[in-house]
Amino acid sequence: MNRSLLNDAKAFLFSLPALVPLLLFWFIPLGYVIYLSFMEWDFMNPVKVYVGWDNYRNLFNNPQFYDALRITLLFCLGSVIPIIVIGLLLALLLQRRMKGNAVIQTLLFSPWVTPTVAVSIVWTWIYEPEIGLANLVLDWLGQAPVRWLEDPGWALIAILIVTIWKAAGWSMIFYMVAIRNVPPDLLQAAELDGAGYWNRLRYVTLPLISPTTFFLIIVQMIQAIQAYDQINVLTQGGPAGSTRTLLYLYYQSAFTSYQIGEASTIAITIILGCLLLSALSFLVARKTVHYH
Amino acid sequence: MPVKQSLSVIRQLLLAILSVAVAFPFFWMISSALKTNDEIWQFPPTIWPQEPLWHNFREAWDAAPFAQYMFNSVFVASAIVILQIFNSAMLAYALTHMKFRLSKALTAIILLGYMIPATATYLPSYLILNELGLLNSYAGLILSNCVSVFSIFLIRQAFLQVSHELIEAGQVDGASHLRILWTIIVPITRSSFAVLALITFIEQYNNYFWPMLITTDPKLQLVSAGLRSFFVEGGAYGLKWPLIMAASAMTIAPLLVLFICTQKTIIHSVNLSAGATKG
Repeated sequence: MNRSLLNDAKAFLFSLPALVPLLLFWFIPLGYVIYLSFMEWDFMNPVKVYVGWDNYRNLFNNPQFYDALRITLLFCLGSVIPIIVIGLLLALLLQRRMKGNAVIQTLLFSPWVTPTVAVSIVWTWIYEPEIGLANLVLDWLGQAPVRWLEDPGWALIAILIVTIWKAAGWSMIFYMVAIRNVPPDLLQAAELDGAGYWNRLRYVTLPLISPTTFFLIIVQMIQAIQAYDQINVLTQGGPAGSTRTLLYLYYQSAFTSYQIGEASTIAITIILGCLLLSALSFLVARKTVHYH
Repeated sequence: MPVKQSLSVIRQLLLAILSVAVAFPFFWMISSALKTNDEIWQFPPTIWPQEPLWHNFREAWDAAPFAQYMFNSVFVASAIVILQIFNSAMLAYALTHMKFRLSKALTAIILLGYMIPATATYLPSYLILNELGLLNSYAGLILSNCVSVFSIFLIRQAFLQVSHELIEAGQVDGASHLRILWTIIVPITRSSFAVLALITFIEQYNNYFWPMLITTDPKLQLVSAGLRSFFVEGGAYGLKWPLIMAASAMTIAPLLVLFICTQKTIIHSVNLSAGATKG
């Protein structure tokens, strides 16, 4: 047997334990969902009917789809931007090593490790309209109480607060590592040139940590598109569809109304959206991110 | 310099307030768990109950099969960790240290997998699992999560740092690839494996959406789904807030303890996962 062929065979065997499940639960589903998006099917019927582009046409004529798209975009921007900005601010505040900072860091990071379902239940209690902590805080601030989870104008904000609370500490840790890796001599040189704190931040630190910002934007964006647990516990997409994201619409049309074809077209939209976002951020990154 | 000093005091004070605010929901959960049904609806609420009812925890634990849920979560998460360590190590070794045709293409395909949101494929994956007869089984819960693109990249990144001479030296000594991988490479890169194990365990213990879809048998529910059923079913919703808070606390506690014990590794993971995606 040819030596390089033998080597190929061995490498193939080594890849198999990962490749088989990857194929079964990752790549085949991807092909399958494309196929299903051209079919009409309700789960029960043994026959799937080919309907061409009908499912796509129906989706793009469905006002629910545009509502879900708008809410997904709002959810993305409303979670990604605060998570990154708050994470950066916390990391800057924690920059100087002080006694007690280790404890502070632990507290700020702890929400990230906890199960979203459990903490969302706790937040449901906090959002309780009569006696909940959230309205108590509003009361202290002299504001009128809010029906957090029942008012379509507030429900998305309530979910965003939980999402940001859970993830801000995570981005803080990334920024802390990135800030620690900024070469001190660069900062000293800037200081000798008379740059104050803000100028050093603006012209030295921020450009040098831009790869981290870029990474966090992509990861959080994809996380936001996939958010499910907190929406499921807090609002189930309501009230009046005000928290129904694309993913939630996908889940409802697949597993509660059994419209497999329509659901598949939503899945494809989500996948294409993620690929587009990734491609876009790579293009932007090439122009603006400084790798060193 | 008094200005600088007072700035520093303000900064520490701000940090202290912020961290207490972030952790407050956890405190509030415990405090609410210890109240009576009457006290929890009192206005203004008491910060800490006059008489903490510690037996609420016992009562909540007995009100639903939480021991079963906990076991399911720990068992499924541990099995997934072991499988992922095994298959990520094998594949990463093949990609980095066994020069073979298609290794570049394979890497590219896996990188593409990184960009695809897993939740979008839940419907077709569900149908496939159904075809395989794996719905409603531990096997389904474990096998459908037994590979992770993130884990593969994490380990690949670690293996890239290992000098190829080490492998060649092993081959000269007549060691097989399997031996080189498990007795030389894995011990050197064990910190990456620790990160993989921890992150995967936390993720899978907390996992909710996918396990909920593929299991209808309450005996197979993971802890998040079990807690959620306790929350909505059985008249618990809105009526028994102290018990619901106690149950939530019991679900969260193991993870907070795990986190406090392994904080260094988890924070170390940040370095590695930022690196893993630069690929």
